Amino acid sequence: MLRIENLTKVYPTGTVALKDVSFQVEDGEFLVVIGLSGSGKSTLLRCINRLIEPTSGRILWDDIDITAANAQQLRLIRRQIGMVFQQFNLVKRSKVITNVLSGRLGYANPWASLLGIWSHEDRQRAMQALERVGIADKANNRADALSGGQQQRVGIARALMQEPRLILADEPVASLDPVLAHSILQYLEALNRTDGVTVICSLHFLDLVHRYATRVVALKDGVKVFEGLPKEIDRARFKEIYGEEAEEVRATAVEVG
Amino acid sequence: MTNLSRVLRILLWLVVSAAIIAAFILSVRVTQPDFIKLVVAAPKARQILPQLFSPELFVRQAITSTMSLAFPIPCGSAEVGQPAESGPRLLAQPPCASAGETFRLRGENFPPNAGIKLSWRLPDQRALSIKRIATDGNGVFELEIQARPIAATKDGKPSSLEVETSLPEGALRPSPTLTEVVNAMFVTVFMALLATTFGTIIAIPLSFLAARNITYRGVLGKTVYFITRSFLNIIRSYEPLVMATIFALIVGFGNPFAGVLALVIVTTASLGKMFSESVESIDPGPIEAITATGANRAQVILYGVVPQIIPDFLSFTIYHWDINVRISTIIGFVGGGGIGYFLSQAINAFQYSKAGAALLAIILVVWALDFLSAEARKRLT
Repeated sequence: MLRIENLTKVYPTGTVALKDVSFQVEDGEFLVVIGLSGSGKSTLLRCINRLIEPTSGRILWDDIDITAANAQQLRLIRRQIGMVFQQFNLVKRSKVITNVLSGRLGYANPWASLLGIWSHEDRQRAMQALERVGIADKANNRADALSGGQQQRVGIARALMQEPRLILADEPVASLDPVLAHSILQYLEALNRTDGVTVICSLHFLDLVHRYATRVVALKDGVKVFEGLPKEIDRARFKEIYGEEAEEVRATAVEVG
Repeated sequence: MTNLSRVLRILLWLVVSAAIIAAFILSVRVTQPDFIKLVVAAPKARQILPQLFSPELFVRQAITSTMSLAFPIPCGSAEVGQPAESGPRLLAQPPCASAGETFRLRGENFPPNAGIKLSWRLPDQRALSIKRIATDGNGVFELEIQARPIAATKDGKPSSLEVETSLPEGALRPSPTLTEVVNAMFVTVFMALLATTFGTIIAIPLSFLAARNITYRGVLGKTVYFITRSFLNIIRSYEPLVMATIFALIVGFGNPFAGVLALVIVTTASLGKMFSESVESIDPGPIEAITATGANRAQVILYGVVPQIIPDFLSFTIYHWDINVRISTIIGFVGGGGIGYFLSQAINAFQYSKAGAALLAIILVVWALDFLSAEARKRLT
């Protein structure tokens, strides 16, 4: 269970990105964070694995205080939290397999990994991860030779290498062609359903939220304005979260059951 | 209001133009360009330039033959020399003379258009060079010579007039100058290679310390960042020439090691700066992603940063090798060794043909490296 308590983030420029945000995520949930661009979604996700240092507040994960962890403890926490990014964040010039293996760095022998030496098990694990996302044949291609959807699948394979208990997905489909959105989210859903991995994912499109979320947290200007089930987001709530001028846009015309 | 700003703008424009004009007047006064001198000195240039543009690169082996004619000074002090009956022969008219008088020397039946070295062979066997001439199309030469007192007969032995004919023959061979130039050029290229290698090795860690996105965090990080930056900037402001002069004073003039030391520092400073800018311009995404996997700092740099900067680093290094060859040709002038030192020595010794060979070698090598480095860098991206 992940507990966010009174989380506040003020950037050095004075921008208040998160203001006193509190909520809980139970194990096995698929929690979706929604809100306009700049509402604090990315900051929230990055505070959880402390890629961004929170200004105040606490983040507790099964009674481990992430916010109080020292550098060594933080690395051990981070290696159990996979992260998927809007811009994929692959090393474009490196091979796909190298990108996937880099997800294992938190577990690997530091000296061997610096020499580029990986154990047989890690290499096998990397191939299995690529098979799971259906691009094992691209293992030796350069990452930037892949299409956007394929690159995001490499990103997921990299997160799989961490054997994560929690996955943070920051707008994982926002840079992709809308028709590819489901293919990526279905991988995350499978991880959530079959492997029991907790997923916290920020999304733009409401239809995707209805389809995948087990619960929703909405942010507006850094403040939590809604927490509840996807079906509770009606027109009034929608206007409240996105503002009066907002109109709902569908991610895809593809009908999903 | 708008009128005032308009007036101000015109005023500013006037001030700036006046300043530019003043700067030009001042620079003409200070540098004293003298175009008349450039024209007046043309004969001097005509003397130097042909030599400069005719570097002696290849020579033929020459076959030399010598012939001499006894010439008594004064008359009667010894027997006059007899011209040969056939073949090449020398005729003196008159066949003897008093010291200070002049006579005519004529050579016949020599090889046409052959170079001839004319000299006195004194009684004590010392040679005294008179002149270098060439035979005409018929193998004939004729010139007036003064009977020098030093060539006077001694103990009944007369001085002789000696003619050395040299005829180029056989295959072209590299001249000694060419061999020297090639050797010096190798020294220069290797100087640059060694300096680039060491400079790069030192510059790599420094560049990470001087990269804002890697080092600039915490008090310690910020201090290291500023110290490294300032260090790179300070050593960058020293000209390689100045540095080479200082090192030449320490390790000896003409010692290539002086040049290498100067180049290492220059390379470190400028590659350190270029590398750090390359590190600063990388995509932060992979760093974020790899940090998120629980990797430590060294792993993040090796997996997230290094693959992104390798092409830039290689390209900058090759480019700098190219620059270093160019600089090392110059720093040789101040005692840094290599082709530059060779060139400066040739110029100081008025051996312009040698200097021309060195210049030609510099042009060829710089051009070739420029081309090669451009090609290599094209392939890297």
